[in-house]
Amino acid sequence: MKYEHCIRCTICVENCPVFRVNPDFPGPKQAGPDAQRFRMEREKSVDKWVLLCSQCKRCNMACPCGVEPAEIILRAQQKYGLQHPRTLAHLLFANNYYLSALGSLTAPVANKIAAMKIGKKIFHAMGIATYIPFPKFSFKTMRGKNKRKAKAAKRVALFYGCFINFYRPDIGRKIIRLLESFNVDVVLPPQWCCGLPALGNGNLTIARYFAQKNAASLSNYIDAGYEIIYTCTSCGLCLLHDYPGILEMPQGKKIAENTRDLHEYIIGLIDDGYIEPQFGEVKRKIAYHIPCHLRALGIGYPAAKIMKMIPGLECEIFDDTCCGLNGSYGFKKTNEATAVQLGNRAVSLIKKTKAENIMADCGSCRMQLGGLSGMEALDPAEVICESLGITGEK
Amino acid sequence: MSVTQHDVIIIGAGVAGLTAGAVLAEKGCNVALVAKGEPTACLSTGCIDICSLDHEPLHGIGHLPEEHPYHLVARAVIREAVDRFGKITDEMGLPYVGSLETNRRILAALGTFKNTCLVPSTMAAAPQDEKDDLHIITFSGLKDFYPSYIIARRGNASFSTYEAGADTTMGLAANFERHDFLEKFILWLEKIKIPENKIAFPAVLGLESAARIAQKIESSVGKKIFEIPTIPPSMPGRRLFNVLKDYFRKKGGVIYWSWPVSGVEKAKNIVEAVITPSDGRPQSLNAKAFILASGSFVGGGLHARRDTIVENIFNLPVFVPGKRDDWFDSDYFALNHGIGKAGIIADSSFRPKEAPWENVFVCGGILAHTEVLKNGCGHGLALATGHAAAASCLEYIK
Repeated sequence: MKYEHCIRCTICVENCPVFRVNPDFPGPKQAGPDAQRFRMEREKSVDKWVLLCSQCKRCNMACPCGVEPAEIILRAQQKYGLQHPRTLAHLLFANNYYLSALGSLTAPVANKIAAMKIGKKIFHAMGIATYIPFPKFSFKTMRGKNKRKAKAAKRVALFYGCFINFYRPDIGRKIIRLLESFNVDVVLPPQWCCGLPALGNGNLTIARYFAQKNAASLSNYIDAGYEIIYTCTSCGLCLLHDYPGILEMPQGKKIAENTRDLHEYIIGLIDDGYIEPQFGEVKRKIAYHIPCHLRALGIGYPAAKIMKMIPGLECEIFDDTCCGLNGSYGFKKTNEATAVQLGNRAVSLIKKTKAENIMADCGSCRMQLGGLSGMEALDPAEVICESLGITGEK
Repeated sequence: MSVTQHDVIIIGAGVAGLTAGAVLAEKGCNVALVAKGEPTACLSTGCIDICSLDHEPLHGIGHLPEEHPYHLVARAVIREAVDRFGKITDEMGLPYVGSLETNRRILAALGTFKNTCLVPSTMAAAPQDEKDDLHIITFSGLKDFYPSYIIARRGNASFSTYEAGADTTMGLAANFERHDFLEKFILWLEKIKIPENKIAFPAVLGLESAARIAQKIESSVGKKIFEIPTIPPSMPGRRLFNVLKDYFRKKGGVIYWSWPVSGVEKAKNIVEAVITPSDGRPQSLNAKAFILASGSFVGGGLHARRDTIVENIFNLPVFVPGKRDDWFDSDYFALNHGIGKAGIIADSSFRPKEAPWENVFVCGGILAHTEVLKNGCGHGLALATGHAAAASCLEYIK
């Protein structure tokens, strides 16, 4: 940790979305490098406000000195989580994978209950916010489509992420069709939650448990000559940044080196001359909300490059605003006010442009912005598929 | 390694980099800007200091030492850069006032005056002498803004405190962007019946709509109002950064955030690509030319070692002002610290001197002999050299 490199310029504070709306959070400078000086390894953690950090990583990106306040806070969150009794909401969201798996298995019933008054009451009693509708579980998930073809020159293993798997497998299937239309073989390796929700809820043990399972599985596929493709930028950041970092996976470096964003991969195919996609016209104005974690990946905005190739499409970039949901962060009652204020601000900026759709790479951003604005929020892959005339059905 | 081809890549998202980028993008170049973090412009007052030494900025420039990089820029180019800046900020809804002929003053939080040239419209009404009587509005809990400092220096001032439900500049600015908050605030302002003829605020009147918000308050209470810059987080600095960035994007420029340049790919005396060590595998970006606008020490362009100063991206020769003992004046608050002279010496085409690179240009705070604090020339120099370096770069790639 490089907390001593901080020169107290407060650029991180200016960039902190939580600090902007929640006076209880002292901001990344104080919660990160400033407080770190007083955090003794053997002393019990007392700074409960570290849990107010949403881990959007904007402070890391803004810092001119490479301090990475979010990393310092992330570690403080893990320590706090370990030493204090966890709230029910924290425990549930850390295990979001199993919760969603259960919800998906019982989708017809679970969705009904979640939409009913009694469901909302149950959520509130558990400390879960319901200002936007809880996403609908999908009974069909991505599983069971694991056929290896190994004919094309390019082979990828898709890390689709929980959001697509449990809520929107239709997008996942579109992505598979899309890659197949580019003459790329797609397989779905055995996979679990990336571990980010557990980290975000201060549960390093569960995060490592998931990471170990994924790391072993993905590592096998890499050895077999597959590149790993992620579509959710938060899963991506976890695989690339946290697996070799805080989660200390021995295969972490290998996974990071062989894992790419879907759109980055497609740009690569075009750059190499492997494909020459003929994009059809999509006449629409789209507000492209850049997920904080896409920014943090440091790969630019690859989907924006593809959008520029689509005739008729007007795509305006919004990368100053955080949607406020941050995965499970905004679903906790304690963070609801923060999440709603941030989300409304992002929506008000988007609405000024008269865009017809919102687009975002991250499922939770889409859920938040779509829910608060009432506009349709799309995955960039959906727009690409529309342009190329690819539908989800075979 | 993933590769993308651009005409020009600019390193650094400060005033110099964004200015150079906008000039090139307007001429139809395919420009990408890479930045490690956010620029120090966000920490600034948002005012454009051209040269604060003299009442007339251009006159002041004439008296700067001959090695000062201002002398590399023709007067006409300085004028053009300032005019263009005015047009851009007008277009983007953050109008600036002031002219290159005379400097003007803004009131600082200590009650002192600061000499500057162009100021955002929200500071236009700042008193130019001791005559105006002022009423200062502050917000309960706001740190580092104490009206008593100003009142102690001017007899004709008083203050009131508003309970805004936020106690940081960022939080207050976010509140002012909310319609209901603004309405309630204006009601309160009308109710307290201010006798003085001007009203001063810490610079927290909104983020993207600051000019509009200030206007609305002014017309509601029927008195001139103005903002006083705060210590960081500085809202006027952020507003300036936002409009320059949005304008660059509007003209087709692409920005790569969290993209610290760690090295370059080169062939003979040409730089072919810059590389960043992103998580996983390094990313690289190719271009025909590169503009280095990475700022000085705080911005991360220059690094001080124990006994020397280095530039890490292209390893350019750095002018080091003597031995370490000569870097600092014994008076901490003196503006004469030798280290202010450190930086890259550029030739008249804004290429770094004594470096082999044909297609590398430098501009902004990383230049040597600027002495920004002493001469009061930070953003002005960035505008002028950003403009000039872009012109030189354009000539090279055409």
